[in-house]
Amino acid sequence: MLNRNSLVAIKNPTIKEAAEVIKGALSKRKGIVLIGNCWVDYQGRASSKLDPGERIVIIKKDGSVLVHRPTGYEPVNWQPPGSLFKTSVIEEILGIRSIRRKPSESVQIFFDHIYLLSILNLIDQGEFFLHASEAEMQKAILLKPSIIEHGFKPITYEKKVEPGFVDVYGTDKNGKFVVIEIKRKTAGREAALQLAKYVKAIKVIVNREVRGILVAPRMAKGVQKLLTTLKLEYKSLDPRQCVEILDKSTTKKISDFLQLDNKI
Amino acid sequence: MFRIRVTDAMLLRDMITAISTLLDEATFDISTGGIKLRAMDPSRVAMVDFEWPKKIFDEYVCSETMKLCLNISELLKLLKRARREESVELSLEEKTNRLQITIKGKYLRTFNMPTLEPIEEEVPIPKVTFNAKAEITTEGLRQAIEDVSLVSDHVRIEIDDEKITMRATGDLMGATIELKKGDVAFLGVETKEVSIANFSLSYLVEIIKAAAATSEIATMEISTDMPIRLDFKQQQEGKLSFYLAPRIDVE
Repeated sequence: MLNRNSLVAIKNPTIKEAAEVIKGALSKRKGIVLIGNCWVDYQGRASSKLDPGERIVIIKKDGSVLVHRPTGYEPVNWQPPGSLFKTSVIEEILGIRSIRRKPSESVQIFFDHIYLLSILNLIDQGEFFLHASEAEMQKAILLKPSIIEHGFKPITYEKKVEPGFVDVYGTDKNGKFVVIEIKRKTAGREAALQLAKYVKAIKVIVNREVRGILVAPRMAKGVQKLLTTLKLEYKSLDPRQCVEILDKSTTKKISDFLQLDNKI
Repeated sequence: MFRIRVTDAMLLRDMITAISTLLDEATFDISTGGIKLRAMDPSRVAMVDFEWPKKIFDEYVCSETMKLCLNISELLKLLKRARREESVELSLEEKTNRLQITIKGKYLRTFNMPTLEPIEEEVPIPKVTFNAKAEITTEGLRQAIEDVSLVSDHVRIEIDDEKITMRATGDLMGATIELKKGDVAFLGVETKEVSIANFSLSYLVEIIKAAAATSEIATMEISTDMPIRLDFKQQQEGKLSFYLAPRIDVE
């Protein structure tokens, strides 16, 4: 790793000590994690008051503030990026006020005991890849039907049949009808049974041979057997591949061009 | 010691606005000769290359080479309070390491803000041989880019012997913009070969809009599927250039 301090941790600092370190960190735009006994006042579009308790307060370097209780994934109080800060110490109590101007909102956090204070100097240039939703997988199939099989032609999608909606509906190279059920994650027995229902419903309407294909990145145990029994098929499709189809163009990075000499 | 002053606040404000299109934090290289900045945006798709020699300033005092890292959006917030014909002075308070911003106009305002830990990364400029170069008015460029951004989020730019063509296609609409010899906005072209590349408009629109306030004439350089270089001619010997990586079709 690089020769730098990613993190400084101070256990059980005094309120005065903590105030000084936090002030410095805020003006240097560093991240801060505070764990201790605190209470919170919020004034703004609404108002709230949180009684004392042991919590985790995170101040990110962009000025976002999160107050987390020991349980739950959502913060109980928060401020968006770009907040202004004002710290104070009055009678051994540390106050951190974070102010947002528009709309005017203020979150005030008071600590009387701090168990851990950490100053963060984190570098994160990684990209975040979101894998496709079922709707995007459907869109990718419509855009490039050959990912299902050669000669597949979609006719419509979200077709209403008696038990519900068919994800994609089309014909194969031999003119047979094809019903596709898409699952974004591991396809279970329910998906196979649901597909069987759709195939049955379509057969009644078209009076012709209908193939049913379950499309998913993988199958749960025993589903292949069930599909065979139901005379249905399986096609493995990775949601990531769908994202690539949807996003045909990708922006290169300027950093790719710093070293190499005029070659792609 | 570091102190600079400009009598027209807009000069500084417009330049910082242009830099802010890519950077939230910027590390300036300050020397006795002037101020330089070369940095990539956080997603590393674009780069700004900026240089202001000391003679652009009405006062320039620098005793030693230093790196000065500032939060650009916060600096801009303060500079936006300054009006045309007001003077702005920036000075580094050595004891506290804070930057003092003094705006003198109808009344006197003094702000101060923290300086940040400088980023030591030295960034080279992209190694690209450009095969096509066109000179246009910045206003013409701004208008053209705004035109294409009505229909899509990316644009295909082509430069041949006589013109620049910008094409965009969306699901609903398409646009073709031509700037060619004889047009008021078109100042000249030099090509080794016809060059075509695609670029994200979200970057181009922001960069060109902000840079247009600082410059009358822009030079655009491209090569097929390579980055674009946009140079916005500055008064005196200043420099403001942007590089933007292309979009590549994978299919």
